[in-house]
Amino acid sequence: MVTIGMDYGAKNTKAVIIKNGQILAISSVLSGFDQKASEEQALNKALNNAGITRNKVKHFTATGAGMEATSFANDTVTEISADARGIIAIFPSVRTVIDVGAEEGRAIRLNEIGKVVDFGINEKCAAGAGAFTEAMARALEIDIEKMGELSLKSTKAVPMNAQCTIFAESEVVSLIHQKTPKEDILRAVHDAIADRITSMARRVGIEQDVALIGGVANNIGFIDSMKRNLKCEILVPNDPIKPEFVSAYGAALTAQDRIRG
Amino acid sequence: MSSTKYPTERLKCWGKAKSLRENYYKDFAEAHEKGGIRWAGGAWSFDAIPSGLGEDVWALTGEPYGATVAWNKEFATECQEAIETKGYARDLCSYMRNYWGSILLNKYAWPQFSEEFPKADFIWQDHICCSHSKWYQVASSLEGGIPMYSIDVSVGPYGELTDSRINYIVGQMHDGIKWLEKVTGREYDDELLINAVHNEFRSCHYWAAICALNKAIPAPLDEKSMYSLYVLGTLRKSAQWTADFYEKELYPEIKDRVERGIAAVGNEQCRVMTDTQPPWAFLKVFRYLEKYGCVSVGSLYTFSLIGLWEDQEDGSWGPRAIPDIEITNRDEALRALAEWNLSKPEWQHFYHPKLKSEMMIRIAREWKLNGVLLHFNRGCEGLSLGIAENRLAIQKAGFPVMPFEGNMGDEREFDITKTMTRIDAFMESLEFEKITE
Amino acid sequence: MELVHKEEKELFDQFKDWYKNRHDYAKAWKERTGGKVMGYFCTYVPEEILYAANILPVRILGSHEPQDVTEPHIFAMFCPFCRDCLAQGLKGRFDYLDGIMIAQSCLHVRQAYTSWDIHIPTDYSYYLPHPMHVQSPHAIPYLREELVQFKTSIENWIGRTITDEDLRRGIELINMNRRLMKQVYELRKGINPPLTGLEAMYMVVSSQTTDKHDHNKALESLLQQLPSRNIGDPGERLMILGSEDDDTEFISMVEELGATFVTDDHCTGTRYFQKEVNPTGDPLTAIAERYVKRVPCPSKDWPQRTRLDHIVQMAKDYDAQGAILIQQKFCDPHELDIPIIKETLEKNGLSTLFLELDVTVPIGQFKTRVEAFLEIIREEDLF
Repeated sequence: MVTIGMDYGAKNTKAVIIKNGQILAISSVLSGFDQKASEEQALNKALNNAGITRNKVKHFTATGAGMEATSFANDTVTEISADARGIIAIFPSVRTVIDVGAEEGRAIRLNEIGKVVDFGINEKCAAGAGAFTEAMARALEIDIEKMGELSLKSTKAVPMNAQCTIFAESEVVSLIHQKTPKEDILRAVHDAIADRITSMARRVGIEQDVALIGGVANNIGFIDSMKRNLKCEILVPNDPIKPEFVSAYGAALTAQDRIRG
Repeated sequence: MSSTKYPTERLKCWGKAKSLRENYYKDFAEAHEKGGIRWAGGAWSFDAIPSGLGEDVWALTGEPYGATVAWNKEFATECQEAIETKGYARDLCSYMRNYWGSILLNKYAWPQFSEEFPKADFIWQDHICCSHSKWYQVASSLEGGIPMYSIDVSVGPYGELTDSRINYIVGQMHDGIKWLEKVTGREYDDELLINAVHNEFRSCHYWAAICALNKAIPAPLDEKSMYSLYVLGTLRKSAQWTADFYEKELYPEIKDRVERGIAAVGNEQCRVMTDTQPPWAFLKVFRYLEKYGCVSVGSLYTFSLIGLWEDQEDGSWGPRAIPDIEITNRDEALRALAEWNLSKPEWQHFYHPKLKSEMMIRIAREWKLNGVLLHFNRGCEGLSLGIAENRLAIQKAGFPVMPFEGNMGDEREFDITKTMTRIDAFMESLEFEKITE
Repeated sequence: MELVHKEEKELFDQFKDWYKNRHDYAKAWKERTGGKVMGYFCTYVPEEILYAANILPVRILGSHEPQDVTEPHIFAMFCPFCRDCLAQGLKGRFDYLDGIMIAQSCLHVRQAYTSWDIHIPTDYSYYLPHPMHVQSPHAIPYLREELVQFKTSIENWIGRTITDEDLRRGIELINMNRRLMKQVYELRKGINPPLTGLEAMYMVVSSQTTDKHDHNKALESLLQQLPSRNIGDPGERLMILGSEDDDTEFISMVEELGATFVTDDHCTGTRYFQKEVNPTGDPLTAIAERYVKRVPCPSKDWPQRTRLDHIVQMAKDYDAQGAILIQQKFCDPHELDIPIIKETLEKNGLSTLFLELDVTVPIGQFKTRVEAFLEIIREEDLF
């Protein structure tokens, strides 16, 4: 039986189609102003890749910030539950999953069947997420894809304010003026974001194994900072489900759970 | 009419509560016209004391006023911007900023009673949170100088009360009365004080008794409604009209609802409590919870801002008994008043979060709760004090907790959409689904 | 501005060393004396009683490093200082403490104490209620009774009585420390203060973490050499006032721009040592009186504002041209005082600059603002 999970993110709308637990297709389109159009686009792209028509889909569950406004889904599930459901299918040993996306960071503790035990979302004063990374990439005139790699070349830790994004941005400007090497600044930026995320995650409680998902989990510099903070291994999903698709995958699995009853 | 799990009924005394509250704000505005005097201070002030100055003494307590302003988002923002222009920080208590803004704009939150903000004749305050006295220190100077007296009550936990601690408070009270006489030119009447103290015993006892009735399943009251009812005690707990309303109207009505199994939320399937003040501009979160058949039965905040509690004979938590004492003179009245107030549960966490955690866990058990929603309230340093440790302790005791950040009085700091999503996730984790009609 | 010779520069090295290596110092003190060390929050703690009991009081301060361990314990809207303090405990840097205590003043720092009490095992822990209504005549007798209770608690802990003689000894030791630091500050009133604000800060803050027997000796030696020291023209004469502040990086940045801090009102400054205990009569009453009547923390300054006159007078006495108002982010008591202080100082002819502090500060941005501030003062000098 075929189900679809769709994640209406702030930046991208992602779809995952599964059949009896196996992944048939994955798609991602930019979330435009017209949600219905983005939804349609992502859906059709995925259906195309899977080589199936819409009527073959038994159940469609939506998740993400825009989930309530869905035009096609049968029901919804929160990203928090979807993250947990998705990650347990990929790494059965995970008990804490940290999701860092464009707009926010979340930490979720789950049990062995993927049920959410506790969760936290980072708040005003520690809102360091993907958007901040992008702003820093611009300030340092670096390709965002290259940020992680370059930061790993750093030889020196430069402390950066872990609390306030605004302060942190000014500190980056000061560091640039002091001619601090880019890789050291980058490492400081990654460390600062990681500090904020870890702070929030500690509130929820860290239980191994720990997994990292969401767009920012593609950044190897950030993963490195997180490993150093948490002092443990971190599992990051890759093919076939990359970090930013775990929510949509979890939604698809939830759809499957719901019809199996 | 849709059928729900339990029968529901509107509260009969709802209208009365509403008019009592409106009259309070009207009386304050018209005090001078009636030849009386009026004072401003906190909800925790010893309002029984200025009552001894006569039967034409009216009051305006700051926190409920700040909450009233907060309900009106546009007015609140105007107030906050006005005071921010004067250099006062955004992270200060939002009730205080709403109040100051009202003064600066010279606008009363009840324009039907007075367009302008009525200036108090004197300030009569209490002090336990750092902002308390400073609030009125600033307010006084914004008003061009109003005589001010404040009583420090931060003497440690009730369970560790000593003679010298209570003497410190009673000493300030005695001095306060002499100060009142000087400032108002009136002679003090101890009989009026004694009556006021007896009224206060009743108000605090009966409000707690009403909250204790919410142990029933289904709960006869939901917290959103309770806000409109507990407020009277925060306006003037020592007034006869407050005590009478709680004892003779509200308590019997709620008792009757329990006997007949009347529910606040017809589809009650999930019971929670909250804590700290709610985000006043967004009380619809409570209506949203109801979509899940989820009722908030109250909170330590709602129960004991005014209500006083103690162990009952059967070991359960219930209203503190009305002291069976005869008060014959001023000192006895003041001493009884101080001792009575010091037992307030909402005054204990100022010394250690574990004191509050214990009480919250007790409520979770005795009111049979499924979970707890904690409002990490950026608008109040006093009541958010220690809240992170409360969360840890409540979780450790086995109750799921959903924290959400916000601000009771500054709607710019509250994200309603994100909070609703969070509620969805929390309900999912508790395995409660939305109830479809 | 720096015309200081190398040997003269070393005058404050001892204080700097004590401050920077305060944990090592306390551990060595313990080994040397076999005595107990009490960590404390807030300068309202009556150190006189601790010294009377031969206990070393050590103020718990932050380390100015970003940290990620306090979020589960203290809501992020409370001041960075209290969170930084708790972080030190959670990270095990104060493992050598035998006890912790706090004297009641502001709300925020109370949480550092209570979370420490819950999560970090310590042999002894005490919350000292302390009057907030210090302007009431009942404050002194009330505090005295609290000190009696506290003294008994300490006696039970150390297993011996603290006599009036012990108390007088403690009083005199701390009074001496206050007196000597005041004498150093007096020298800053002159046209060419012989020490910088940074050096003054090292001196005062090291007193909060060092045995005052040692500190007094260092102060006496300092006072012999200071009067003849010449570090040149101070440039713009500044005051710094506000919340807890031991941000040495910030102070030295300002002074490197050609200005000098000539005085202060904060609690790693004059608020700590201003006002001695009047040693006549009953020692506990005398101690209570000192803490009730000292320059208050804003949380205790009501209904009258007594800090204002004090600050204005200090600005005159030290001939300050400008004031930097610093405030720990989210600190409510200071936020409630600063607008009126700013207004009052400006009415009295001082330029002011307001800055919010965190555990680390954006030094580059702050430098720009301080430069602009100093330019304003320099322009006014031309008239």
